[in-house]
This record gives sequence, C-alpha cells and structure tokens, in this order.
Amino acid sequence: MKFIKSLSLALACALLGQTAFAEEKQYFDNRIETLETRVKQLESEKAKRETATSGSTTATGLSRYFNPAISINGLLLGTYVNQGRTDSTREVKTGFKVQEVEMRFTANVDSYLTGDLTIAFEGDEVEVEEIIASLLISNRLSLRAGKFFTPFGKHNLLHTHAFPFIDAPLINEEILGEEGINEVGVGLAVLLPAPWYSEIQLQFLEGDNALFKGALNDDFLYLAHWKNLVELGEELTAELGGSFAYGKNDLASGPYNSTQLAGADLTFKWKPAGRERYRTFVWQTEFINSSRDVDKKGIYTLMQYQFARRWWIQGRYDFLTLPRDQVGGGEVAQDKHRYSTLLAFVLSEFSALRLQYNYLDQFQSENEHQVFLQLNFTFGSHPAHSY
Amino acid sequence: MRPFNWIYSICIFFLLAVSIPGLAIAKLNVVATTEDIASIVKEVGGDLVDVKAIAKGYQDPHLIEAKPSYMLKVNRADLLVYQGLELEVGWLPLLIQGGRNPKVLPGKPGHLDLSQAIAPLEVPTGTLDRSMGDVHPLGNPHYHLNPENGLLMAQSIADRLHRLDPANAEIYTNNLERFRHRLQNKIAEWKAKLEGFRGTRLVTYHATWLYLLDYFGFESIGTIENRPGIPPSSKHLAELSAVMQQTGTKTILQANFYDDEFSELLAGKAQGTVMILPVSVGGVTEATDYFSLFDVLTGELENAFSRP
Repeated sequence: MKFIKSLSLALACALLGQTAFAEEKQYFDNRIETLETRVKQLESEKAKRETATSGSTTATGLSRYFNPAISINGLLLGTYVNQGRTDSTREVKTGFKVQEVEMRFTANVDSYLTGDLTIAFEGDEVEVEEIIASLLISNRLSLRAGKFFTPFGKHNLLHTHAFPFIDAPLINEEILGEEGINEVGVGLAVLLPAPWYSEIQLQFLEGDNALFKGALNDDFLYLAHWKNLVELGEELTAELGGSFAYGKNDLASGPYNSTQLAGADLTFKWKPAGRERYRTFVWQTEFINSSRDVDKKGIYTLMQYQFARRWWIQGRYDFLTLPRDQVGGGEVAQDKHRYSTLLAFVLSEFSALRLQYNYLDQFQSENEHQVFLQLNFTFGSHPAHSY
Repeated sequence: MRPFNWIYSICIFFLLAVSIPGLAIAKLNVVATTEDIASIVKEVGGDLVDVKAIAKGYQDPHLIEAKPSYMLKVNRADLLVYQGLELEVGWLPLLIQGGRNPKVLPGKPGHLDLSQAIAPLEVPTGTLDRSMGDVHPLGNPHYHLNPENGLLMAQSIADRLHRLDPANAEIYTNNLERFRHRLQNKIAEWKAKLEGFRGTRLVTYHATWLYLLDYFGFESIGTIENRPGIPPSSKHLAELSAVMQQTGTKTILQANFYDDEFSELLAGKAQGTVMILPVSVGGVTEATDYFSLFDVLTGELENAFSRP
C-alpha cells in the first residue's frame, strides 16, 4: 500500500513537472520569437542606415549624391568575309575589332530639365552621339533640345548595342548613311488625345549630313514622325508609324536641290502572359523612299523569336533598289538583296553572344558571305528597356 | 464657311476633346503597378477611385515591358502607386518618362512608393555586384506576402488619398478602418490554419516567398536559383537534394510564372513535391483580392503539409 502511495506520488510529481516544463518551454519559445523579430528589425534598420550613409561624400568633401546614373556598353566583333582579302579599306572585312564602346549618363538637371549624354568610342574616334535636355511642358507636350537620333522610322533611333542584328538594315546604311540621321536641333512631341497611343513628333534640325547638307547656312532639315501603337489583346501589340523629312541639299540647283525622305514602319510584338521569361516574337518591317538626285528605295523585314529562356533565333531580308533608267545602267538591275540569320545566346540581361550569317547578292559585284560573332555586354546602373 | 470659322471650330473641337474627359470623371484615377496594390487601393478608395493595374497577377513583375499603352494609363493618372525596392526598375522609369504626366513625377503627391512604409527583409550588406545575379540592393521587394505589410500599405495609400482628395478624407478613413478590421480577423484565421506547421522546412525556386515564410514561421533551407535570376547548375541541385534528404524536407515552392523543369528535377531526386502557387492577386482565378490571395496560399500550404 505504501509502495503504491509513493509510486502515485512520484507519478504525480513527474506529470506536474512535465506540464511546468511545457509551460516554461512555451514561455521561452515566445521570448525567442520576440527577440528574433526584434533582431530582424534592428538588422533591417541598420542596413537602411548603411545604404543611406555610404557613398555620400568623397575624400575631398564633395557630395556624390547627385551623380548621374552611368552605364557602359562594349561590343566586341569578329568578322569573316569571303571577298576582298586584299582591300583594307572595306567597311566589312575579316578580322577582330572593338565595334563600339558606349557610355551613357543620365540624371535630372533640376526641377525642369532631364539630361542625357551618350558618348561613343569607335576605333580612334570619339563622338558625342546624344546630348539631350528634355522638358515636360504639360501632360501632352514635351520638348527636347540637343543632338540626338531622330525618329525617322524605328531603326534609326537605336544605339548600336540595341540593334536587332549585328549590322544595320541596308536601307539605314545606304539611304540614311552610316551614322543615320543623327542631328542637332529641337523637337516637339505631342501625345494626341486618342484612345490608343498616338504621338506626333516634329523636329527642326541643322541638317548637317550627307543627305541634307544645304548650300546655305540657313538651309535646315524638317522632320516629322507619327507613331501609333494598338494593343491587340494583352499579349500582342501592333505599331504603325510614318516618317517624313525634307531639306535642301548641296547638289546643283534644279529639280535635285532638295531631298525628301518618306518612311513607313509596322511592328508586331508578342509575349505570352505569365511566360514572359521564356518566349517572345517580334516581326518588324520598314520601308524608306529617298528622292534626291536619284530615287532610292528599299525595305527590310525581320523576325525575332525567343524559343528558350536564353536563346533567340532571328531572320532578316533586306532589299534596296535604284531605278535603272536614271543611273544609265541600261537593262541591268541596280538591286541589292541580303539574307541574314542570327542565333543569340543571352547569358543575362547584361550580356549576350550573337552569331550572324549574311548572304549579300548585289548588283555588279561578287556575291558575299559574311559571318559575324559579337559579344555584347553592359555594366553600371540598371538600364530600362524601351519597348 | 469662311476659313476663320473653320479654324475656330477646330479649336473648339480640340478644347472639348481635351477637357470633357476631365470633367466627366470626378473619380480619382489611380494606376497601380501590381494587382495586389490595386486591390488594396480599391478597399481604401472604394467608389471614389478608379484603379488600374499594370502587371497582371500571373505575370512576372520583374519582366513587364514598357508598352506605350501603359504610358497612356500613367498619362491619365492622378496617382501612381508602386511596390518599389527596384521591383519595377526595368520598366517603370520608362512609363513615367513616356507617360509625361507632371502629377506623377517623383516627389509629387501623385507619386507613391509603398516600400517606404515597410521594413524590407534581406537587405544586402557588404559588397554587392552583378556577379551575384539579379540582387535587389534595397532588399527583397515581394513584401506584400506578409499580410501585416498589407496594413502598412493600406495606411500609406489612405494617407496619400487624404492629401489628394481632402474633401473625402473621412470616407477613406472609414474604408481603411474596415479593411484593417477585416484583415486582422483574417490574419488570425490564416495563422490558426498554419500554426501547427510552424518550423516546417521547404525549398523555394526564387526568393519570392521570403516574407510569407518568415511571417508564418516556415524555414527555407535553400533556393533552386542559387543566385537570383540565374538558372541553377546541376551541382547546386545535387547539393540541395542532399540537404533536403538530410533535413526531411519534402516541399518545393515556386511561383506560377516560372517553368517547373528545375523544381521537378529536384523533386525527383529528393522524393519531394512541387507546389506551384500564385504570388499576386489575379495569379489564379480564385485570388480575386488581397484576402482571397492569402485564402488560396494558406489553404494550399495547409493541404500540402497535412498530407502524410
């Protein structure tokens, strides 16, 4: 009996101890949890303070706070061409080169202006590609002044690193010229009150390039672009644009002393909702007609398909024509055709390796095979990607 | 008609075209970058606001493109509300620039960065560079997945609506109180559902789920992407699979806008299961607002963890 009594006493004690222990455990668990939260809070506050103070001043005491965002792009290019081994003056020749190095700076100037600067290094040349001050006047109107790529079509606006192919389309190279229409002047952009995105840009420019160099100092270049973008469902957009440029040139007076350019562009873009990372499709076509001493016109159409997270396959067809009768070539066609294909391996948002093949079928010269391999990389502040 | 009259009537037409939409709509136009934010704006603003979201809940918010059609939305907004911490860094600056709306420029009352209201997690310390992948230097931006941050977001939105529309301040305050009350009740319910599973270990695909795991007390033993935004190596997957087996981890959690090939590969190696969940309101059809998003998330997690 005594034994049973002491046994039950021991059992009761053990049970009691256990509940006491459980309570204690619960208490400490709660304490630990509160402390953990507190530690996390302090850590994040500390991190906030650190990011806020680091980089505020330099050793000279000058503030670094308002430095512009800087990004740098490098383009390394290897080329193989089956023609012109002995001609070192060729634009496209076999060998390695730094295709271009580009530095971009951007910041708000004050509460009115935004500043953008792009400097390009190409071979031993340094060029200010863009220096722009832009001003927002109202929610429909904006102004820009400086030197910039003009909105003549879609491709002319692009910096070399953003080209869909390694080289520019024939119409851009041969009609607008190597540098494109990159001009000094002022521009006005008006957003029209339409249910879709509709914008008109009017630009008043110096006109200092091969196409538009007038005989007189006060011969200017006038340029207009109308851009329309419609959403066809949430995955597909269509963009339709028209461009027009007019200016005097330095050819002899008569019917040829002015240059007129007209262009049209049509782009479809598709990205599947919810799988943006893995698939994209773009189909872009552009047409340019130039009336100067002779009429030149041409078209390109290109397709880009992203078939996996890091892989793109692309194709392009270029066509350029000069009318036969005006060149005196008799019955010989003055046409150029170019067929291109490209495979891109995109390592990340900041670097890509691209391999391109061109077949060039041109008037009065040997047909050419061209192969390019390009490494395209960007470092510095995060660039926003224009659509 | 004389030419003068023509010019006159064209001017009048343009004036009307520009001014009528402004007069007809008395509601505040709010543009939110995500559907989560849009849902909270709807709760706080009620009938007084007209809110549009840019990123849909089933889209990856890092990868939205700066479509000109979005610029039009920004152009017509009285208030732009965004998540911040560089979640939208690839596209929002272009939308603000292209939207050319002086009301929503940084520093203006129509520009609201909600991340200012919360305490971010995973703020990197020490050196930081791109070799580490798509790191967010200001901290993990998916903070809406902590429901208590939802309260802070709502508070911040209400404060801003007061400032933009003081005449209706009382209504916004009442709406905020109603939202707070309802959310607090729901939080208690969600916590009760998952209380028994505190400490459960899981693997996530990307660091998307940090705030959710942290709040409900789950432990992440690793991410499939060992550097954010970079596909994993097979070595990393093998290591992760070994850790999963050692720690008895069975669940792999991933957002529904990623392909599941790596998650399935890992699940096969470690005998685990892959859970594909929405990150945002609108991510699945059942997640119609901020409340039902957590109903879905907590419900799915409870189901998964209750399985033997």
